[in-house]
Amino acid sequence: MEQSVSKQQIRSYIIQSQEEEIKRISLELHEGVGQNLYSILTGLQFVESGLSQPHLKNYLHEMTQLIEKTIQEIRLLSVELHPPALTTLGLLPAIKSYIKLYTSTFGVLVDFESIGEEKPIQEQKSVAVFRVCQEALTNIAKHADTSNVKMGLIWKEEELRISIIDFGGGFVADELENNAVTLGIAAMKERMLLTGGQCVISSKIGEGTSVEISLPLLEGKES
Amino acid sequence: MRMTEIRENHGVMEVCDRLRKEVGCDFVALALQNEVGPDVRWHYASGNVNDKYKRITVRFGKGIAGKIISSGSPMMMSDFPKDIYGKVTDHPIMLAEKLISCYAVPLFFNGSPKGVLLIGKRVSYTFSKSEQEKVKESGEALEQLLRSHILGGGP
Ligand SMILES: Nc1ncnc2c1ncn2[C@@H]1O[C@H](COP(=O)(O)OP(=O)(O)O)[C@@H](O)[C@H]1O
Ligand SMILES: [Mg+2]
Repeated sequence: MEQSVSKQQIRSYIIQSQEEEIKRISLELHEGVGQNLYSILTGLQFVESGLSQPHLKNYLHEMTQLIEKTIQEIRLLSVELHPPALTTLGLLPAIKSYIKLYTSTFGVLVDFESIGEEKPIQEQKSVAVFRVCQEALTNIAKHADTSNVKMGLIWKEEELRISIIDFGGGFVADELENNAVTLGIAAMKERMLLTGGQCVISSKIGEGTSVEISLPLLEGKES
Repeated sequence: MRMTEIRENHGVMEVCDRLRKEVGCDFVALALQNEVGPDVRWHYASGNVNDKYKRITVRFGKGIAGKIISSGSPMMMSDFPKDIYGKVTDHPIMLAEKLISCYAVPLFFNGSPKGVLLIGKRVSYTFSKSEQEKVKESGEALEQLLRSHILGGGP
């Protein structure tokens, strides 16, 4: 028992330090690189407005467009690494904004609903839940071959329940247990276990896949 | 030019559909930078199996279309997702349309790459020199057709 507890702590620690590093890089991209590029953009726009030779003006215009694209991409990279909403606004706004990005990335529509009042969650746990949802949605874009997903959050006094259901091709979930290559699903389950919650995946060929996540909300209050 | 207008632009449709027949591929699609802002989207597709492409915004520097817009050079993938750069999820159009191989060229407007013409197959395949040439020719035809709309700007 002793040993398994400490192994779990080590796993938690490894994940947490990785998440902190990701968050640092994400912030650095957004506040550092992104801000500098923005200053360059404003400078170039100023120069462009003062130019009179058409070919130089045109050249500078193409250049400012390139910087605009780069700024946009830096912003998306930063959000993709670590959504700022997760730290500042909480899990629900972070998921909502991820869904927007997800649809514009993969073209898959998400029918989203959140029932009940959002409860505060420790950042470490909301990051875990967010990552698990992210993996579930990514799996759908990669494997499910469907344009529609249903995602629902239910906030109860004692727990948060999330379901992510697709009506795509499905797969044989049992076969995965002895398949070492598919670490994504194993990691989803592990991460939820480390938060004290659960992740259950069921799937049927031809009918689709459902991912059910639960996170206890009460214990968090003690610590 | 708005998306609906391009979908109804018969010249554009004709070029894409003819290219698909001539090369005998499963899928042809055209991505263009929006009039305003840096966003690049898929404006027209032929041989598509769903309408995901309509909602996809191409990311600058990511996936085959994003790389072409940032580099200005043609690219090919023969056996997706084998030997790809980046992650599988950096290639949404391949996933959305279940493509295994593709070849794509940039479209230039005002001297910069602002569009992509892509052909794809749902089997692994290496596009021959002459097929690549056909895509380039169609790309040039599209540049001509779309030039006035992209540069003219006016309503
Ligand atoms: N929503 C889904 N629909 C269909 N198949 C899925 C879905 N999610 C997972 N799978 C199947 O389960 C396998 C394992 O998923 P995962 O562990 O996340 O690995 P990976 O995504 O890297 O392939 C996938 O390769 C796929 O075959
Ligand atoms: Mg996965």
